[in-house]
Amino acid sequence: MSEPGDAAVSSGSGDGRVVVDLRGIRKEFPGVVACDGANLTVRAGTIHALLGENGAGKTSLVNVLSGVYLPDDGEIWVHGRQRQFHSPADAIAAGIGMVHQEFRLVPTLTVFENVVLGSAPRYLDMGQIIERVAHLAATYSLQTDPARPVWQLSVGERQRVEILKALWRDADVLVLDEPTAVLTPAEAADLGLTLRSMADRGRSVIYISHKLDEVLSVCDEATVLRNGVTVAQPRSLAGIDRSDLAEMMVGETATEIQRPTDQPSGDVVLDLEGISALSDRGLPALHSVDIDVRAGEIVGVAGVSGNGQRELAEAIAGLRPTTAGTMQLAEVDITGTSPRARSRAGLAYVPEDRLGVGLAPTMSVVDNAVVRSYRSMRRRMMLDLRRCEDFCKRLVERFGVQVGRLHEPISALSGGNLQRLLLGRELTGEPKVLVAAQPTRGLDVAGIAAIQSQIVAQRAAGVGVLLISEDLDELLALSDRLIVMYEGQVAARMDPTQVSRADVGAAMAGTASA
Amino acid sequence: MTEPTHAPLHTVARGRARWHRVLVRPVLQRRARVAPAAQAIAFVIGIVLALIAGALLLWGSGNDPVTVYQRMAESSLGGFDALSRTLLRATPLAIAGLAVAVAGSMGLWNIGAEGQMMAGATAAAGFAMVAGDLPGPVLIVLMLVAGAVGGVVLVLGPALARAYLGVSEIITTLMLVEVAIRIVEWLKVGPWKDPESFGFAQISPLPDKASLPGLFGQVHIGVLFAVALLLAFWLAVSRTAWGYELRMAGSSPATARYAGISLQRKVLTALLLSGGLAGLAGAIELSGTATRLEPGLSSGYGFAGIIVAALALMRPSGVAVVAVVFGAVLRGGQSIQTLGVTSSIATILQAMILIGALVAAVLLNYRVRWVRPVGSGADGDAAENPASAGASGV
Repeated sequence: MSEPGDAAVSSGSGDGRVVVDLRGIRKEFPGVVACDGANLTVRAGTIHALLGENGAGKTSLVNVLSGVYLPDDGEIWVHGRQRQFHSPADAIAAGIGMVHQEFRLVPTLTVFENVVLGSAPRYLDMGQIIERVAHLAATYSLQTDPARPVWQLSVGERQRVEILKALWRDADVLVLDEPTAVLTPAEAADLGLTLRSMADRGRSVIYISHKLDEVLSVCDEATVLRNGVTVAQPRSLAGIDRSDLAEMMVGETATEIQRPTDQPSGDVVLDLEGISALSDRGLPALHSVDIDVRAGEIVGVAGVSGNGQRELAEAIAGLRPTTAGTMQLAEVDITGTSPRARSRAGLAYVPEDRLGVGLAPTMSVVDNAVVRSYRSMRRRMMLDLRRCEDFCKRLVERFGVQVGRLHEPISALSGGNLQRLLLGRELTGEPKVLVAAQPTRGLDVAGIAAIQSQIVAQRAAGVGVLLISEDLDELLALSDRLIVMYEGQVAARMDPTQVSRADVGAAMAGTASA
Repeated sequence: MTEPTHAPLHTVARGRARWHRVLVRPVLQRRARVAPAAQAIAFVIGIVLALIAGALLLWGSGNDPVTVYQRMAESSLGGFDALSRTLLRATPLAIAGLAVAVAGSMGLWNIGAEGQMMAGATAAAGFAMVAGDLPGPVLIVLMLVAGAVGGVVLVLGPALARAYLGVSEIITTLMLVEVAIRIVEWLKVGPWKDPESFGFAQISPLPDKASLPGLFGQVHIGVLFAVALLLAFWLAVSRTAWGYELRMAGSSPATARYAGISLQRKVLTALLLSGGLAGLAGAIELSGTATRLEPGLSSGYGFAGIIVAALALMRPSGVAVVAVVFGAVLRGGQSIQTLGVTSSIATILQAMILIGALVAAVLLNYRVRWVRPVGSGADGDAAENPASAGASGV
């Protein structure tokens, strides 16, 4: 339902003028297509939610709009004129203001200095500039003291300075990337008021968030992205509830997945008891999570991203310290042990970031293939390169990885082949437990099928699998048991054969019924 | 409700962006990967372009470029003796370059190799004073060991701070350069002052037996150490589990952590090794070319090592090549001063050649794309697809 954005063809209502219209944006990175024909239509005077799971292409799309990336294909229309942004400066000049997740402020400078940095009027004295900044802040109820140095400010205040910066540059479209992730509830409420007052004055806001409640209370319209494609553009959020949004985000995948045949499960091979952990920002992200996985079963973990799934996977892998609880792997206590010790104890781990965590992008295919086994490839002090190469060749053959040259940087491979290699590498050690985080995200149909059949094969071989995914169909089809995470806790435990997508959606949105 | 107005700012900002929409303009794009052969070619092209620009400089300053370049080439590469003078300079450059490259392969910048060279030379000289009774070969070997230890000692603080506290090694190592040089100055006028030099403050000369034996021409056996160290490092990085971990930690820290490699330990070893190598370079320079320890002993070789390592893309093979080229440029730059080229012009010429090589090495990572403005053509289709034209060889 792409609406042409020309001023002439704007929609019926008076202030429904289209300010930003992104049409068929495509942006490809090595190994992954971030946006593949994404559309975004933003009207004047509205707060527009941009929704989608991690990796759905939200950030890439707004980076195209704000001049950070040049799109490979597609059109950018702003105020009815087609634009091409070669740098953020071009986008700022066109009235697009961006507030990034990581603030870009100079801590030693004052608030007003940061606001006017790079675009200070030449013929005004400091007093007048401060006055103007203060006036601008007051207009949009952005409480700040223009004369204070930024290093003294709280995170919420710093965000206000970022917004002021955009307003000072006369942005009539403000893009906020997960603005409330760093805010206290009170600050988040203030931010909502500020954004509303901007919309009331005819400006537009593009609001990226995972928090569905917030989106419903703050935003007027929404665009939902999935796998880089726009899948829904509700013109009004009235009458839409959280589970509707959650369902739009996870969507239905076209792949036909065969439910694995029933089989009796064995002993508990992974046992988490009361596991708690902190997020990267040091806030509690997991609250006493209990999960057990038996040999020969797949336990699915569902949830809107940002509800503790990443932290859960990292805590099990030993990459994130736990603050409470115990962990057992095949009856060996692995609480607090190193990643290497857990790998040796029989843990295979496919991380969410396959390139960058699971695989080293600039190193060769061979180097990446032996990440788990290079220590056993030593001959005296030297690494036996012949054996490494043989190992890599066998891996490539067994898991059907399509590679060019083995000594080429691995980033040359496609997403599906990267994942085949990564999963294959993790499985060669004959693991007892496989933790796979978003193993099929962003893959093409063939890649998804290959990875899923590997996971099912592991189950048949008696491996206990913890499958963390945002693809509901995948979870419902593959899991023997389903766990739903909400705000760092296990919100629901379900039998995937007995529940509907809507049930899971409700649990993901925190309105648990089961 | 009045909106704050700042119209002038507004128009300036929009005006600045206007030419983007009018002109077909080149855009630099990062290449996915660079062929190794292209690196060598770019290096040569960069130097040739710099030589052409340098010819204009020489011609403008009243010199004959042909004669000057002839002399440069002859004095640095023409014959046995010339080559030995080039290698004499290439030796400390190679070891210091390797020192920087060891840290660089982990993504660390040991900017203070100069200081560690001084610390190494100081430790070696101190050892020679204390243990002057030892027979020559034993003394020399132990001096070199002392030199490496001296370098390690100077880099120990920055390395620990970087590994465990995350303090930038760039600043700490750089600041310690001054400290190392001032310590030598203090030794010169204080405890190590030569009692036989009367009023003139200088450090006592080293005994003759503490000098590295010559090899041929001007070269001492230090050049063999340099070759051996480069080979050893190349082997260690590409053929050992230790080197594998180092490469992994340097290129993708998150993957290294995932693989169970301790990043802190790798940072520590890379910086300590870097400091040790720089200290060794200082000791070799002292024992090979100097008669006594002086504050100016390392004469910028440590800083030049940064350029060598950067040009070599942190690779040992590259360090060897770049160090020899750099040595030849240094030697050539000195010799043309006998033709009447002033030392400032000679220095500018040297700098131009190095900048030419450096720029070529950086530009190699990009290719040029010509981007047409939006809406200029009759068909919008051509406007949106940037035409790629003429990827330059450099």
